[in-house]
Amino acid sequence: MSEIVITGLGAVCRLGTGVDAFWNGVMAARTAEPDRVPDERAEVPLPLYYMVPGRSAVHAGGPASEFTVAAGEEAAADGRVGEVDPYRVAVLMGSSVGDARQTELARAGEAPAVTGGSPPFSMASALAARIGPCAGAVSLSNACSGSGYAIAMGAEMIEAGEADVVIAGGVEAYSRVTIAAFNRMGALGPERPRPFDKGRQGVVLGEGAGAVVLESAAHAAARGARAYARLAGSGWSCDAAHPTAPDPSGTQIKRAMRDALTQAGAGPEDVSFIVPHATGTTLNDSTEAAAMADAFGDRLAEIPLHNLKAIIGHLAGGAGVMGTILAALAFHHGEIPPNPPLREPDPECPVHLPTGITPLDGGVALVNSYAFGGNNISLALQGVAA
Amino acid sequence: MTGLHDTTPRASAGTTAGPAVPTIAASARDLVVTAIGTTLPPAPGADGWFDQRAELGRGYKKLPAACQYLLSATRRALAAAGGGLESTPEERRAVAVGSNHGAARIHTEVDAATTGGEAHLISPAAAPYFSPNLIAGRLAIEHALKGFSLGVHTPGTGGLEAVHAGLRALRFGRADWLLAGAAEEPPPADDKALALDGTPEDGAVALVFEPASAVAARGGRSLGTVTARVFCLPPAAAAAEDGPEHARRLLAAALAGLDLPRLPADGVRLITDGSPVADALARACEGRAEPVTAGSGCLGPVRQVADALGAAEPRLIITAGRAGTVAVARVRPAPHIPLSPMDSPTEGS
Repeated sequence: MSEIVITGLGAVCRLGTGVDAFWNGVMAARTAEPDRVPDERAEVPLPLYYMVPGRSAVHAGGPASEFTVAAGEEAAADGRVGEVDPYRVAVLMGSSVGDARQTELARAGEAPAVTGGSPPFSMASALAARIGPCAGAVSLSNACSGSGYAIAMGAEMIEAGEADVVIAGGVEAYSRVTIAAFNRMGALGPERPRPFDKGRQGVVLGEGAGAVVLESAAHAAARGARAYARLAGSGWSCDAAHPTAPDPSGTQIKRAMRDALTQAGAGPEDVSFIVPHATGTTLNDSTEAAAMADAFGDRLAEIPLHNLKAIIGHLAGGAGVMGTILAALAFHHGEIPPNPPLREPDPECPVHLPTGITPLDGGVALVNSYAFGGNNISLALQGVAA
Repeated sequence: MTGLHDTTPRASAGTTAGPAVPTIAASARDLVVTAIGTTLPPAPGADGWFDQRAELGRGYKKLPAACQYLLSATRRALAAAGGGLESTPEERRAVAVGSNHGAARIHTEVDAATTGGEAHLISPAAAPYFSPNLIAGRLAIEHALKGFSLGVHTPGTGGLEAVHAGLRALRFGRADWLLAGAAEEPPPADDKALALDGTPEDGAVALVFEPASAVAARGGRSLGTVTARVFCLPPAAAAAEDGPEHARRLLAAALAGLDLPRLPADGVRLITDGSPVADALARACEGRAEPVTAGSGCLGPVRQVADALGAAEPRLIITAGRAGTVAVARVRPAPHIPLSPMDSPTEGS
């Protein structure tokens, strides 16, 4: 297997546009109460969402594609993708509903009728249009695990020789259908999300996009590209149990973590940092905590976790890539950002959520993403020599 | 010893123990199609052709039609597959499905209910299917496909991309058995927010892929092989003066990835939507591609693959979407693919 490294990062979320805004926000553990959606027609009990400040494309066409292009172009510039033969560059983007918002605006006469798909999934194509003729532009869903799968599939494309560089990630933009469906399924909370808190009340969705540039270590070295971290492995699994609820046994999420570590040539004793899926729903968090407790035993009380969704919300299709960016930056800077304090830790979730900055010196970081449809993925990241 | 240490040897269908983690497991030639299932209307645009209760039984009424079709097509494929699913451990079974409009109706209905003050009336059983990956996810539940589940939705090319991504994951050892295909249903005709390219598609095609060695070990039958590649020629680049040259070079690279030194003299089909992208591909094919009119979704190209598996000679299926995505599938029907392991190149990990 080739060594795959991350050489570029791009992000858009409620903390602002750009990786610096993202990193500064998480380093400050800058939480906020959710926004009320700027959509008068969303007649739902909890019309709450974390919007991207200053550029929420609520009244424009294709907000998911716009966010994708913003994050993707930042990642491409950061990774100097422009110096790579575009024929050897591919794009993979995951999302839950793509540009569903565009269709809703079209129904209201505020945007042209959409073509190609309903919901439209042209995020990867939109970014590829900025690159030019290239090695592929694939838009996938896999719901809240979408960007994790996009990243893992991108690594496989490189391994298979289909591309030398892949810009992979995911995106979510506000859509009425998503907020309505989540309301109907009872998954949303009325206040900012508090994963692993005894009083957690549910998810708050968030807008945004993230992108990472992947390439082999040899390719990066040959062109003098800086590597933030190594994508050392991924583990894929599917609960095949329930359309929306996690399998309480946690069997398949444990398998995803195990396979990611095995592919990384590591074991549970090597894990130094985890970005859990941790959405803030009762069942999701307790299931994940139990699986991690089973996987790591007493060490779970010592492994620092980062509660990213407590800060930026749940970016659904973009969740995995935001966790990946966080882990890559943690290795790059040698420190894990602080967590917002819990009101009351849930004794059924015996996890370690340090509220101060934690040094990170080696080991393996796991980034977990789980989704409707039973889709699970764990990514294993490692630091790179300076 | 913790729960992350897997001490249980993995069974694998008819082969040595399967790899626990990705590694180059088999050449593309080692994965063969063992069954095809189709659930398609008797004629384009037919109404009332699918009786979900008769086809599937109770408990499926609230699912999107595309999901019902896929479940039905898969049952038909499994009935013809000769036992590969049952002999494969649940964690080594996988699914990859393409769809462009499988969630269209639920989106339209949820939006109408929400803007009409009736969000509380949305069926809890139907609501999850706003997420289009549930089409594959429901199939995973039905048949305990725990290896992985993928939903791919790129306009026009999502079906072939799903096949390609699923096969690639199998070659990296993530599973040993794959159900890949596409499913579509017509979007609501009264939803004025949608402007379809081409005729609405309706139905599903399901292809079962397994390692040739496993099929041979149980005395099973191969229908042939499918390999694929993708690339992207953005519309602006396609329409530029050098668009055809880009198309020619990208196509040549895709063909090389499919072990083809050049475009075959015959057996080439180009699924075209009449866009500048498709036109550039047509010119790159230098008149050797038989044009096939694209439908509005991503089912047509997979249907072409299924048809090609029943043909006498190999075929190359090229599909180009107006947003620039292109997928190329090389289909070699049996007996063009010997099942003998002696005919398969050996690759190291």
